[in-house]
Amino acid sequence: MPDNWGFVLAAYGLAAVVLIAYWRRLVRRERALETGSRPTARRA
Amino acid sequence: MVRVVGGLTLVALAAGLLMAFGVAPREVTQGNVQRIMYLHVPSVWVAYLAFAVVLVASMVYLARRLDGADRLAHASAEVGVLFTGLTIATGSIWGKPTWGTWWTWDARLTSVSILFVMYLGYLLLRGMVEDPDQGARYAAVLGIVAAFNIPLVHFSVYWWRTLHQPPSLMKPGPGTMPGVIVAALLVNFVAFSLLYIYFVAKRVSLLRREAEAAA
Repeated sequence: MPDNWGFVLAAYGLAAVVLIAYWRRLVRRERALETGSRPTARRA
Repeated sequence: MVRVVGGLTLVALAAGLLMAFGVAPREVTQGNVQRIMYLHVPSVWVAYLAFAVVLVASMVYLARRLDGADRLAHASAEVGVLFTGLTIATGSIWGKPTWGTWWTWDARLTSVSILFVMYLGYLLLRGMVEDPDQGARYAAVLGIVAAFNIPLVHFSVYWWRTLHQPPSLMKPGPGTMPGVIVAALLVNFVAFSLLYIYFVAKRVSLLRREAEAAA
């Protein structure tokens, strides 16, 4: 069976993009809370 | 503490990548595309773990009305949905070269999609109810009910013999995989579990601070 490296790259690349995007979202919300502006703050 | 977990997570993820691409051998039947397993299987493990935590935290919340338990359930559900989405996407990418299709209404694929939609509904429900206490109560009930789908997902490959292969690792009896592949999987299990702990700790802290700021 061919190695299909493109699929491997797509899977790992997608995971990296999604996980980094989620981490950046958490960090942005933390910074927003620290500066006092709460643009995305939600009820807990 | 969260920073320490974050540092450990980075080291573990680097070790996981090294094991997946540098140590684990090329699989004989599927070739190198099988390396997607080191991402796909730990993702679904974290999803199971996350939803099990939602179940326990929801039961604690209903019994004791602890805000911390509610925040833990909320954070864990969010991270669980993230990893379930990753499981479906990476499974689809793996399915195309090995099964010849991106998607099929196989028992495992269908049940995991239902799991994904149920916890997505859980998150939507939390955002829709105005009264926080009422929202937390409703979410706790849904968090308990939705957890009944986890064994259905796991055992679906035994109950309905369709396209998805049975588990290679989380099954009774002696293992059939070579030790080096099991080791690579285990390192990635640890890395993804640490990533789960890091994300949930950060999210719980955010939820607490947002609640304090809103009060």
